Amino acid sequence: MTRIGVYVCHCGLNIAGVVDVEKVVEYAKGLPDVVVTKHYTYMCSEPGQRMIQDDIKALNLDRIVIATCSPRMHEETFRRAVAEAGLNPYLTEIVNLREQVSWAHTHEPEKATEKAKALVRMGVARARLLEPLEKRKVTVEKSVLVVGGGIAGIQASLDLADAGFKVYLVEKAPSIGGRMSQLDKTFPTLDCSACILTPKMVDVTKHQNITLLTNAEVTNVKGFVGNYEVSILRKPRYVDAERCVGCEICTKACPVKVLDKFNENLSEKRAISIYSPHAVPKIATIDPDYCLRLKYKKGVCGKCQDACEAKAINFEQQTETIQAKVGGIVLAVGSEVFDASRMVELGYGRFKNVISNIEFERISDASGPTGGKILTPKDGKPPETIVFIQCVGSRDKRFHEYCCRVGCMATLKQAILAREKISENVKIYVCFIDMRAFGKGYDEFYRRARDMDIDFIGGLPSEIHSAPDGSLYFDVFDKGTNKLLEMHADLVVLGAGLVPNSDLGNISALFHASRSADGFLLEAHPKLRPLETAMAGIFLAGACQGPKDIPDTVAQASGAAAKAIDLLLSGEIELEPLKAVVDKDLCSGCRICESICPFIAIEIKPEVVNGNERLRAEVIEAMCQGCGLCSSACPTGAIKIQQYSNKQVLTQVEAALEEACAEGGK
Amino acid sequence: MLREGSELSLVDLMSMAKPNLESREKILAKLRGRELVNCFQCIKCTSGCTALKLLELKPHEIIKLVNLGFVDELPSSDIIWTCVTCLKCVQRCPQKASPYHVIMALRNLAVEREAKVPEGYLKAVSQILETGLAETAQKVVTRKMETVDRECLKLPKIISPKVGFQAVFMKTMEEK
Repeated sequence: MTRIGVYVCHCGLNIAGVVDVEKVVEYAKGLPDVVVTKHYTYMCSEPGQRMIQDDIKALNLDRIVIATCSPRMHEETFRRAVAEAGLNPYLTEIVNLREQVSWAHTHEPEKATEKAKALVRMGVARARLLEPLEKRKVTVEKSVLVVGGGIAGIQASLDLADAGFKVYLVEKAPSIGGRMSQLDKTFPTLDCSACILTPKMVDVTKHQNITLLTNAEVTNVKGFVGNYEVSILRKPRYVDAERCVGCEICTKACPVKVLDKFNENLSEKRAISIYSPHAVPKIATIDPDYCLRLKYKKGVCGKCQDACEAKAINFEQQTETIQAKVGGIVLAVGSEVFDASRMVELGYGRFKNVISNIEFERISDASGPTGGKILTPKDGKPPETIVFIQCVGSRDKRFHEYCCRVGCMATLKQAILAREKISENVKIYVCFIDMRAFGKGYDEFYRRARDMDIDFIGGLPSEIHSAPDGSLYFDVFDKGTNKLLEMHADLVVLGAGLVPNSDLGNISALFHASRSADGFLLEAHPKLRPLETAMAGIFLAGACQGPKDIPDTVAQASGAAAKAIDLLLSGEIELEPLKAVVDKDLCSGCRICESICPFIAIEIKPEVVNGNERLRAEVIEAMCQGCGLCSSACPTGAIKIQQYSNKQVLTQVEAALEEACAEGGK
Repeated sequence: MLREGSELSLVDLMSMAKPNLESREKILAKLRGRELVNCFQCIKCTSGCTALKLLELKPHEIIKLVNLGFVDELPSSDIIWTCVTCLKCVQRCPQKASPYHVIMALRNLAVEREAKVPEGYLKAVSQILETGLAETAQKVVTRKMETVDRECLKLPKIISPKVGFQAVFMKTMEEK
């Protein structure tokens, strides 16, 4: 004989403001096997939980139905409370009266109350069939894979390594540093990006717990939380890392000129080169797409080989696959800058003196193509008028609807740098829609820009023209003066936003990490679980989750590292018992479940029965997420999800139809 | 009693005009979507407006006036007729709020309210009704300064519209 307790939560006025909770409680009293029914303002609060616990002990309850918010919100809370009172936590049933009733039917309180009654009736029917389950424990590998060696990946790696965990840091480019290493100064303090980043980059190579794999990509991920097996492909540099001393004599010998990606193609480098002035590791790399020897085979060129005193050049170097077992994964793959040539009206790509903000960083940087002098790309002269144009590719339904979150501050910084570096007489204008200076010290930075006679025009131009002499001009209507202004500029800097990496689709597929509508990687919960993906053990750091500036990126990276430490620290983790279970007698080995499982959690294994070999499905328990796809696809009904068996679900359906049938009969 | 309903919560102190939400809804009903309300005043439309240089058209102001409900003075104003329909604002609006479509809706509202419509537009309509053509055949002057028409170029005569054309045309116009 089951003894059920039903508890209805008001959730302040969230539920009680719409649903008549007293009526629901009154109704629940009449349901079979219900021993006690109560309602309370906040069931999740300490007194609310204690009320349930006291009743379990005093009334000997063995099933608990709680009508409250979504189980995603507080199911764990209530299970813990029930377990503390000595009952198996899986004998708790949550009925969602908030997201599915009061919030959905705010304007129909009477109908909402009826729906609440029906849901409680269904919950009680199901509760009777709940089975006690035990969590399973799995050991975890005490190491972490960090994908991406920008500031996010570097910070996460250092935090993890300092905490004593082994870290594999994988970076696609020949050097770590990422986007931040391309920046000149950083807002709002104007400290030099290289000065604060380079020491961290060096720390990475020196840390005994970090294995740094540059020029490498993750190609395969298998396994499950705590036990991921990853394959990492290291592309050849054609330079022996042990021998290269970074003297760059090879670069001087190389005859092939290549556009320098690190300098945003504003300058040239050689086919053999070191990635950037602050590269870590400082090892030369040959670009096989341009190297004459690698393109045209033996006997050609080889000048770098002749020049290298350390004998580090090795044209025979091959790709290498590295296997690693890790407990958790931090994705820190960053973002790209919007390709402003897609906004044709602004002339980027057609007019040389229209540049993007990331190009401005390289022009302003002391290690950039102009040695830190701000000169126009077209004629190499210091500009007399600079105009910044905001929201390029962002807040625009044609391209990206979101705010890029860094454009305003990046422009303020660049405007200030231009004022400091060029002269007091250079005219600087910023055309903007809204100025978003929301962070710590940001609005003060905006004021600093105004102090420096930088002028702000409240409006965006529609198009940019080039005069026959090559100078740029355009019209812009200013909200403040209510005037149409014609502006002439030597240099136009476009505030291009951050966009998802072009290969984020592959990364998302590789790690089973979903993406949100904006194209970035999706966090498990936008407010309460911003550092995790929906896949257990895979964490997010930095701009791959959404556009971010450096302070936010570093904060998220440390957070993701802490989350990973939390996962790995105890050496074992508990897994939810709500998994698929195969009834071997019913399984026909048809492999439908294997093909449909999104978590690769089903293995088909041969089994000998009465001397005949037959195929049988087997669930790899640690990988199964209990999604139920296999169960609904199985033609023989051999797979069930624990706590969601056909009987348990159909009983609920019957309970749902009960009243409807009764009404129909009237 | 200062306020009666939400439409009276604003008063334009320059003209003492009050918003008219009913007229605003009328405009919105004439548009395919409600994107108009997404306008965040980036002013791109006005910066690039071909007609602004000629006359007083500021598309961003029209959008804001309609959004706030100050619709009533617009149909009788000259500015809605100065748009040259270059469609630049439609192409470049980052919020797809399309001032062009709003201006067309205001023109239709002007006709409905029998407000003053510039003569050229009325001429164009009566010409279509008479001849079936938006543009009639004109005489042309060649480089040798000879004036030629269709007849001397031996082009076929333009046929007048069939009987009943006017009725069908008017009916179609009303349906739109």
